[in-house]
Amino acid sequence: MEIRVNPTRMELNRLKTRLTMARRGHKLLKDKRDELIRQFVILVRENKELREQTEKALSGAFARFLLARAAMPIESLENALMYPTRRLSLKVTRENIMSVYAPKFEWEETAVTEEGGIYPYGFVDTSAELDSSIETISRVMSQLMELAEVEKATQLLAVEIEKTRRRVNALEYVLIPQMEETIRYITMKLEENERGALVRLMKIKDVVRASR
Amino acid sequence: MAVSKNKYAYAVGRVRVLETRLFDYGRLDRMLEAATAEESLKVLAESSYGNHFAEATGVHDFEIILSKEMAYVIAEFEKMSPQPEMVALMALNQDFHNLKVLFKCKYLGRQGEEPLLPPGMIPLKRLRSGVEEENFRDLPPVIRRAAENILMEFALSPDPQLIELHLDRALFEMKLAVAREGGSVFLVELFQREIDLLNINTFLRVKKMGRSKEFLQLALLPGGLLEEALFLNLLGEGLEGLIDRLANSPYGEIAAEGIRGWMEEGSAIRLEKLADDYITGYLRQRKSPPFGLEPLIGYLWGKQIEIKNIRLILVGKINGLPVEAIRERLRHVYL
Repeated sequence: MEIRVNPTRMELNRLKTRLTMARRGHKLLKDKRDELIRQFVILVRENKELREQTEKALSGAFARFLLARAAMPIESLENALMYPTRRLSLKVTRENIMSVYAPKFEWEETAVTEEGGIYPYGFVDTSAELDSSIETISRVMSQLMELAEVEKATQLLAVEIEKTRRRVNALEYVLIPQMEETIRYITMKLEENERGALVRLMKIKDVVRASR
Repeated sequence: MAVSKNKYAYAVGRVRVLETRLFDYGRLDRMLEAATAEESLKVLAESSYGNHFAEATGVHDFEIILSKEMAYVIAEFEKMSPQPEMVALMALNQDFHNLKVLFKCKYLGRQGEEPLLPPGMIPLKRLRSGVEEENFRDLPPVIRRAAENILMEFALSPDPQLIELHLDRALFEMKLAVAREGGSVFLVELFQREIDLLNINTFLRVKKMGRSKEFLQLALLPGGLLEEALFLNLLGEGLEGLIDRLANSPYGEIAAEGIRGWMEEGSAIRLEKLADDYITGYLRQRKSPPFGLEPLIGYLWGKQIEIKNIRLILVGKINGLPVEAIRERLRHVYL
């Protein structure tokens, strides 16, 4: 469907400029989309690998944690873990991937004491199962942070790709054809007018010639 | 001060009746084979635990039932025993647990919702005011010493593990001291065995953590039959050395099997179970005297093991662990 406009030469010129701009925009957006998808695929691969690693480690840790839980009263477990020995400070900055601002984490893990270990509990009330579970969870922590970073970036990129794709499609299948159609309509209308004027002129010429 | 053994006649008579009501393998099996955790809980409801069901609203509240039952049993035993303080020793770890929680809450500045256990020998109020005011004069000397050490060391290095290690040492020091004071050779020997078994486990854990000799020294409990030096000297060596050194001790078999399990699977499940079973067997052999403390302590230990087994089954059932995985962790019953 063409756009409803006055079929004037001025309108035609305006539309032509808009069309070239739309075409240029379309090409740019298409490039952007392709690059976004390329980045996205890299991130998704990284994400998948990280997630698999982390999930494997964590499910092992959780299974052991459950067994530790089964071997001790809940109060003992809570007491064992109520005072953390590690402190994590997190700084969030932003990274620009194709004008998508993905969060970038910088973290630092510090111990509450210099010589202390990661285990905040003694050995009498706790089961040794708890040790290996805590050890794994503490090891997985930095992987988890990385995963969070990559996963968020992937999500943001996916949203941006979707948006860009919609824009590209709108330009390609709606706006550009519409404008082309309208330009054709105006050109035809103008030519029609021209032909009309020509015929009128010839007719007048005939009349004038006959009356002489 | 030793108490005439005749005074135990009544208490032992009652224990003999109570013993028959401990969970046997059949009942544990019924809980284990039940289709759901709710079904398992029903088996529990048919027993003496049924009295505490009013306070639990669902299957996740089983811990309330278990701790109420233990508190009830301890209270009953204290009433009927001629030496209540000896019975209370079996619940002394609860006081120490509470003390640990109170210390940590104090240092974390946390209030309310403390994971406390019912008090054993020492009223909670005394522990709380001691920790809050940093004044431990009202508490037994062993606790006072440990608490003062904690205050001093925590100020230098705020490591929560220090609280635990100091109080764990103090717990067994106090257990041994009260048992000696009460003239019970039996209890002293029992606690020494408990200390040794815990030390073997601690040794393995500390070794795996790769900590120093000094740390191991602090983590090991003093007063056991096995010398602390034995463990300290073996820290840098392979575990085979420990198996050899323990071969001629009362724990030869446990050590060999448990430590092999640790080396092969990297898990202490086997060792922890064997250690509990060892104590159960030790007490079972000594429950025969008709007048004495032995049957009482044996029953209380048996009850603790029963609760451990029930907890294993229920946690396993709630989380859908395979029956076999639960079964291999179940402790021997005292019966």
